Amino acid sequence: MSEHHKENFITKYIFSMDHKMIAKQFLLTGMFMAVVGMLMSAIFRVQLANPGETSILYNLLPSTWLNDAGGLNPDKYLALVTMHGTILVFWVLTAGLSGTFANFLIPLQIGARDMASGFLNMLSYWFFFIATVVLLSSLFVESGPASGGWTIYPPLSALPQAIPGSGTGMTLWLISITLFVVGSLLGGLNYIVTILNLRTIGMTMQRLPLTVWALLITAILGVLSFPVLLSCGLLLVFDRSFGTSFYLSDIIINGEVLHNEGGSPILFEHLFWFLGHPEVYIILLPALGIVSEVISVNSRKPIFGYKAMVGALLLIAFLSFIVWGHHMFMTGMNPFLGSVFTFTTLLIAIPSAVKVFNYLATLWRGNIRFTPAMLFAIGTVSAFITGGLTGIILGDSALDINVHDTYFVVGHFHIVMGLSAIYGMFAGVYHWFPKMYGRMMNKNLGYIHFWGTFICAYGVFFPMHFLGLAGLPRRYYSNSAFPMFDGLSDINSLITFFALAGAIVQAIFLFNFFYSIFKGTKASQNPWKSNTLEWTTPVERIHGNWPGELPVVKRWAYDYSKPGAEEDFILQTEPLKDGEIEH
Amino acid sequence: MDIALRNMVKKQLLWISLAAISMFFASMLSAFIVEKADVGNWKEFILPNYFVFSTGVIILSSLVLFFIKPQLKKDKSIFSLVFTVLILGIIFSYLQIKGWQQLTNQGIYLTGVGSNISGSFLYILTLTHLLHLVGGLVGLCISAIKSKQNLYSINNYLGLELTAIYWHFLTVLWVILFAFLKFY
Amino acid sequence: MTNILIFIIVISVIATLVQIVRVSELLSEIKNKDVNEVTDKDNNTQGLLFLIVGFGFLIFVVWQMITWDHLLLPPASSVHGTQIDLLMKVSMGLIIVVFFITSPMLFYFAFKYRGKKSNNAYFLSHNNKLEVVWTVIPTIILTVLIIFGLKTWDNAMNVEVTESTKLIEVYAKQYNWTARYSGLDNKLGKANYKLVKGKNTLGVDMLDINSADDKMAREVHLVVNEPVLLKFRSQDVIHSAFLPHFRVQMNCVPGITTQFGFTPNKTTAQMKESEGEDFEYVLLCNKICGASHFNMQMKFIVETQEEYDIWIASQDNLEKKLLTQK
Repeated sequence: MSEHHKENFITKYIFSMDHKMIAKQFLLTGMFMAVVGMLMSAIFRVQLANPGETSILYNLLPSTWLNDAGGLNPDKYLALVTMHGTILVFWVLTAGLSGTFANFLIPLQIGARDMASGFLNMLSYWFFFIATVVLLSSLFVESGPASGGWTIYPPLSALPQAIPGSGTGMTLWLISITLFVVGSLLGGLNYIVTILNLRTIGMTMQRLPLTVWALLITAILGVLSFPVLLSCGLLLVFDRSFGTSFYLSDIIINGEVLHNEGGSPILFEHLFWFLGHPEVYIILLPALGIVSEVISVNSRKPIFGYKAMVGALLLIAFLSFIVWGHHMFMTGMNPFLGSVFTFTTLLIAIPSAVKVFNYLATLWRGNIRFTPAMLFAIGTVSAFITGGLTGIILGDSALDINVHDTYFVVGHFHIVMGLSAIYGMFAGVYHWFPKMYGRMMNKNLGYIHFWGTFICAYGVFFPMHFLGLAGLPRRYYSNSAFPMFDGLSDINSLITFFALAGAIVQAIFLFNFFYSIFKGTKASQNPWKSNTLEWTTPVERIHGNWPGELPVVKRWAYDYSKPGAEEDFILQTEPLKDGEIEH
Repeated sequence: MDIALRNMVKKQLLWISLAAISMFFASMLSAFIVEKADVGNWKEFILPNYFVFSTGVIILSSLVLFFIKPQLKKDKSIFSLVFTVLILGIIFSYLQIKGWQQLTNQGIYLTGVGSNISGSFLYILTLTHLLHLVGGLVGLCISAIKSKQNLYSINNYLGLELTAIYWHFLTVLWVILFAFLKFY
Repeated sequence: MTNILIFIIVISVIATLVQIVRVSELLSEIKNKDVNEVTDKDNNTQGLLFLIVGFGFLIFVVWQMITWDHLLLPPASSVHGTQIDLLMKVSMGLIIVVFFITSPMLFYFAFKYRGKKSNNAYFLSHNNKLEVVWTVIPTIILTVLIIFGLKTWDNAMNVEVTESTKLIEVYAKQYNWTARYSGLDNKLGKANYKLVKGKNTLGVDMLDINSADDKMAREVHLVVNEPVLLKFRSQDVIHSAFLPHFRVQMNCVPGITTQFGFTPNKTTAQMKESEGEDFEYVLLCNKICGASHFNMQMKFIVETQEEYDIWIASQDNLEKKLLTQK
């Protein structure tokens, strides 16, 4: 491959095949969608605090979404919830997180000039981009966007008579998600092949940074689980548009008797969650990979138990394929099957516990340097502990009877999946920003951003557990219909307060990000004194990453504060000294 | 990247895609199995013979592919072989469509009031397989044109090899689908 | 007007931020320092913040547990629910203990090992003994939890259906619930969605001999300490019947009949005594089902046999309701 292509504006910034540029495209699109998704959550939080009342935030919505009094319509509340979930799960935490960092880090950290196929990589982004456009366009459809929850369970999602959003909005949702899956698959293929084949000399699998390990396992999960979403969606498309009965049976809707017989909505749930559960780890694992790297670099210590960390990743990935039934304990499944899923689900706690203890052991007797990235990395571990523990309640089928689909679940997954992953993403952005843009992000704004986010996020999501234990179901437009929930309005107001405050705090990050792209102080080549290969490239972005020969790797990525070394870090390209043992 | 590495990368890309496609069909097939076991009004019907013939045709086409490498080694033209496979592929597609025709004659429909999930599954499985096969046919067309122009040699036939792997995959996939539809 | 105002405010906030950042950068340039270099002072502040905010968070958690305790669901009003509550207490206690060990460790480590330029970290790449320990301990704890959990689950789901088990159907549609009592024969008549017409809102097959004495109601009355088996059907989309006070939940799926058996052991009157006059048992919908999902409810009443007998006698059976009254 030739090292320097001639580039014009279009091939450099738009139809770029350079992995670093594609990573930035993913990042910016993901950030844009994150803002959209967050605004949606701000709007429905306002509704939950002041049901039926009007709010200044509603100016952002089309007027058809509001009733005459200026309040939010119930079905549009569900639309907001659905789109918030879809955007955050798929657009921000799947594409925004793994799309950004897989593209950016894989070639740089394994010592490759680019991805195995730059063209497929570019295609992957553009599929994602079109998917984004289609999804956003569904917001402006007369009957509203998809409103049946991000899990789109039929029959609700199959019947426009059941909820208006299941009409055109749902069709666009399905088109959009199909494009999205195709994009993800193209990306995933590329990541796997790149990691397996294009590692530079000396970069054995045992020397791979944990980020790359996490991204590899994520990609494998994606390639094996996303096709299932496609087949699941295909059958739904046939049911919706062509009159088959895969998921539909014995239905009367608005007085109309449907002809469908024999299908099973539960089949949809099985297929959906066969993707859906690995998807959780597709979101989480890259964040854990990033955090491993950031914690190790900034503790100035090797990551504790490298092999156990890799093993835990592999075990979590494997188990994630056989636990999907825990989303369906209450579907009337065979109780024995429920027992099996409880067993496999609770097993995941073991590798997760190992990871947490290894992070703690890495911090122990470290020389911790609190960069904004490090703050977010510690935040991830905290969220992973807090949210992971409640998983032990939810994974236990007997306990799930009473907390299933309540706010307890909402609190749980927002902390363990939402916060952990988004903190991991922030850690990644702060850590690799100098490599991406050649400039530093402002440190003090980063500190303010972290503490604001950390406080507000726990203020939002921790109280939700109590709502759930009080029996409050999720996806309720208002809690005023049941006298038993009257006492919960204070908690709801508190959550909304923190949600809005948290949203405002994110503006600091956006400001810092865009300001630093143009005006940040210039970065040096290796600002964090890190070992991995990406910091041996020049500060200026060049196609092909290294100007001369590819670097040759002589040691693992985590030789920090090694006794006998002059500095507290040793680049991976540094040969072992006489008599020095690896690790 | 040198050529050997590039070839390996391309082959791996194909193999991993095949894994993804397999997951697609595996999930569809498991849906079929589960529904068949669960559904009360599952309608049994006789599988049209066309599908038996088409199974024979596609197996034959895969067998023909095995003669290509020896021919290449002897530096002989492989156009006729590739062309045969292409024709067999088209015959297979034709037989599938004839099979659907016979099904509708029997009153087995994909959708609508008279349809049953058993029939819907059969159509969907065969249809999605055929859609994947169209991709294979395009690959074979390109390979046929290139072999006509004698662009392949024993040292340089990656495109043809990839097409062949994909075609074998389609054959195996069809045999599995057929076995389930016929005997399960 | 408000929009313009908001716009102006946003612009001025951004402008102020730019100025602040510029000034701080210029100041450090004068001092010949890199503004983004993490100094020992930063490490001190941030480490201390982890200690303060981290422990603040833990205090916040304790505060929530104390302040909001009275809002949580009262103890279970059913036999199997009591066992679920016990399992919940054990699991909750366990995760709270683990939470209050690991979280403080994390925050304390962040504070304690905050960096100093002159310090060096301790090189430690792995320790097999330690790793085995913290793999084995969670494994043992989880094994206990799994066994306890599965027993409770088995107990809750595999209820024995005897002669005395009362059979009641709960029928869900957008957006209300209907109950059908099985009548004197304790057998529910067959039903089919195609028969839904006019007053026969549940599609009961009146040709079935068991249907005649069935009774339809818009609230459910149960006899205390008498086992009941609820059968669930749905007319349109998936709903979920959620009875939080009884620790009962089951999805209602169109085309499929699901069930949940339990024995209520506290009457509504008893609950009113302990929980206040406003207390009612309610059935909620707990699976997103459309615009009025949030307001899909039905009252459950648990009472003595005598009270129940009076109530059930006042209800018309289906034969009278559907066939004779035209």
